[in-house]
Amino acid sequence: MSLCPKFTELLARLEGRSSLKNLEPYLFAEEGFPVHGDVIEFHGPEGTGKTEMLYHLIARCILPKSGGGLEVEVMFIDTDYHFDMLRLVTILEHRLAQSTEEMIKQCLEKLFLVNCNSSTQLLLTLYSLENMFCTHPSLCLLVVDSISAFYWIDRSNGGESFSLQEINLKKCAEFLEKLVREYHLALFATTQTIMQKSTNSAESSFSLKLQHETDTDYRPYLCKAWQQMVTHRMFFSEQSNPGNSKAFSVISCHIKEKHVVKRSFSIAECGVQF
Amino acid sequence: MALLRAGLCPGLTAEMVPLLRASGLRTVVDFVSSDLEEVAQKCSLSYKALVAVRRVLLAQFSAFPANGADLYEELKSSTAILSTGIASLDKLLDSGLYTGEVTELMGVPGSGKTQVCLSIAASVSLCLKQHVLFLDSTGGFTASRLYQMLQAQPEDEEEQLEALQRVQVVRVFDVYEMLRALQELRDSLSQQVLSSTGPLKVVLIDSVSAVIYPLLGGKQSEGLALMMQLARELKMLAREFSLAVVVTNQVTRDSSAGPLKPALGRSWSFVPSTRVLLESKETTWEKANMQRIASLAKSPRQPTGLQVELDIGNSDVQELSPATPTQGL
Repeated sequence: MSLCPKFTELLARLEGRSSLKNLEPYLFAEEGFPVHGDVIEFHGPEGTGKTEMLYHLIARCILPKSGGGLEVEVMFIDTDYHFDMLRLVTILEHRLAQSTEEMIKQCLEKLFLVNCNSSTQLLLTLYSLENMFCTHPSLCLLVVDSISAFYWIDRSNGGESFSLQEINLKKCAEFLEKLVREYHLALFATTQTIMQKSTNSAESSFSLKLQHETDTDYRPYLCKAWQQMVTHRMFFSEQSNPGNSKAFSVISCHIKEKHVVKRSFSIAECGVQF
Repeated sequence: MALLRAGLCPGLTAEMVPLLRASGLRTVVDFVSSDLEEVAQKCSLSYKALVAVRRVLLAQFSAFPANGADLYEELKSSTAILSTGIASLDKLLDSGLYTGEVTELMGVPGSGKTQVCLSIAASVSLCLKQHVLFLDSTGGFTASRLYQMLQAQPEDEEEQLEALQRVQVVRVFDVYEMLRALQELRDSLSQQVLSSTGPLKVVLIDSVSAVIYPLLGGKQSEGLALMMQLARELKMLAREFSLAVVVTNQVTRDSSAGPLKPALGRSWSFVPSTRVLLESKETTWEKANMQRIASLAKSPRQPTGLQVELDIGNSDVQELSPATPTQGL
């Protein structure tokens, strides 16, 4: 059941969606900006900068055009109480030339946050958010941090059957795909590296055989429905650096075009810096 | 997975439920994800009524989005930074423990984790006059040591005794007892019963690895699921009631020469927002080994790698020789 918007609203939505140009040229290999319908997965172990990168992208979206931002709205779905508002505000304060409370408030008004406690609640929340996407034409970025948070609990609840274990996430993935397609969103989702890298070569044929994957600690564990809808996969890792400064690297892969780009970044008080 | 039943929400009548069940819709998720036009035809129910029920069910069972500006206002008024009672540790943590977050202290046995927890309990109960909940799963909590720390402060004896009353200790020896204690805490905080818990600000858990370790290992995922359930409960409590949650954990190494990392595996490593490693400092033979080094392994605010020296024995104890019996309760 889809809610039919008026023609003018539709135009506004299309215009609003395409303004994700220049979101982050360093992350996106050739085209430089996420296009409608892109599903970007951030994958990596703990402490590798995934959440910081999300704050960086959110700041880019909600800052006013005068502050170097895109002035678009963001919907953030937090599944493990990870979101740190104070950190985001610090980053915004660093990026605004004159940061007053009023300006910070205006930026934050473009951010919507939801907390989900189970994969069932995530699914039902996605259904009820559909209305919001319809009524907010400038809401073009959807972030799920993280989509793997319910993995162990779902596995335990599903008992012996793999399909029962995965059914909630499968339905979430299918509905996310529908939302992304119908409302022309870009979806960013983080997945945590919680498994050891598999030494079994039969399993590695399941994922794409790209050179970088032997370097990264990647072992796909989420359901197929999710794996297949990802258009860009970014692998985050710590870079061992001589000296004290901590550096991180992100390997950005465009799945269809098999385009791979590697970038380094560091995290300062003002956020991610390439 | 909530099952559909009469009266679950207004509009879901006793007549509708068996008709819906007959066409395969048993749970709320089934109903919400189905095509209501088809269902209306198959069950000969009113389409409008079904749409109304769907709307009410979604409002009841889904999470409601909040606006960033509103949330920020709320956080500004409810977030507090609590001193740990150890000045150098406060500096490491960027002024102290932040409410709304889970902080982890990791270290080998004897590195001072329990002592730091006791110091936090003493500081919060005496200087800040807030209530503290201490979940002890190792038997390491001693009231006499806590009283000793309180006695080292300038406040008078009456205030020190009052502070002791603000520290509630619960001994838990497995994960189910721990979950039950946390559930009781949640219930009393929800009802805002001021009598025994009072304005609670800190929950100390010493240690979380002691109750989780027996569950891990082997092929079953139930242990990991329980661990993640505990993790979720801790984070929810911290966020919803603006508490500072402190947990202690063991350490392991990948290989004999690798760096120390927190125990309980990768899934747990994502849980705390701040992580501090406690290690003993090598001292000369004569002095009792009371010096500890704390390093910041993970923080949402500070660069990692910062290190400070901690003095976990208070000045009174240091001057006494080790053979002197300790005073107190």
